[in-house]
Amino acid sequence: MTDSYIYIISVLLPLAACMVLFQVNPYHALVIRGILGAIAAMIYAIWGAADVALTEALVGTMLAITLYAIAVRSSMVMRVGVLTEELQEIDENILKDDRVHNLFGQLITDLRKVFQNYYMRIELIFYQDIKELDQALIDREIHTTCVRSSSLEPDNLDETETQPYQTKTRVKRLYNIMKNELSSSKTMLTYFSETKPEEKH
Amino acid sequence: MNIIFMNVILIAMILALLIPIVEVCKDNNVWQKMLALSSISSKTTMMIFIVSVLRDDWMIGVVAVIILSVGNAGFMLMAHIMKRMRNA
Repeated sequence: MTDSYIYIISVLLPLAACMVLFQVNPYHALVIRGILGAIAAMIYAIWGAADVALTEALVGTMLAITLYAIAVRSSMVMRVGVLTEELQEIDENILKDDRVHNLFGQLITDLRKVFQNYYMRIELIFYQDIKELDQALIDREIHTTCVRSSSLEPDNLDETETQPYQTKTRVKRLYNIMKNELSSSKTMLTYFSETKPEEKH
Repeated sequence: MNIIFMNVILIAMILALLIPIVEVCKDNNVWQKMLALSSISSKTTMMIFIVSVLRDDWMIGVVAVIILSVGNAGFMLMAHIMKRMRNA
């Protein structure tokens, strides 16, 4: 048999598969899955299975990657509920270019930094008042709320100065990550245990 | 003689295919990985073309054409999704 190259090509498939296995970043793993699909399609075609190669290229590589990209994008996210007044503060600070005093912006940047290590995004969702925010947390529309301590307890001024924000989360894992890694002293962390423990998120 | 020449071309192609694979392992940027992916997919399609000519099997050749054209459309779609993820 003169087709000695077939054996060399076949080695590439387990090589690419190992690369997918040892990749920890989900987005990078998707791209490497595309590489695995391309190599697999080539091997199938060379072994004479043209129909399998075509299916691998069309479904395995193109469709699966696109669908998984959307799935990863929508699941690796922490939804943070905040009040609409923070939005106004952000806008004002952008206009004034007042980066130092924009505590909320700094806090969100810190959060983004912490969750970047876990390949998660932060999505801000705005609510009109505290009641709506708490209801959204109970209804599981959001994972975390982040509000000013002064809007919660206007009397307790001492604490408000040292920790101007209060972050409450209903997901234990997120709470643990933030407790261990969020070095910012701008916020107070609380864990909100749900009333219905039999249900799982 | 001709077949040996084609085999040499294919083995050279396999060696060239190893370059983007090494690049994927080394680099941490997702766009570098996309570049390596498009490089690998073009190279594998060209290899399928060479094999189809070598064996005089046009069925494999047609598959290579479809993979080449549709695969690129898929990568464009994927790149758009990744770009939107970065912006969000």
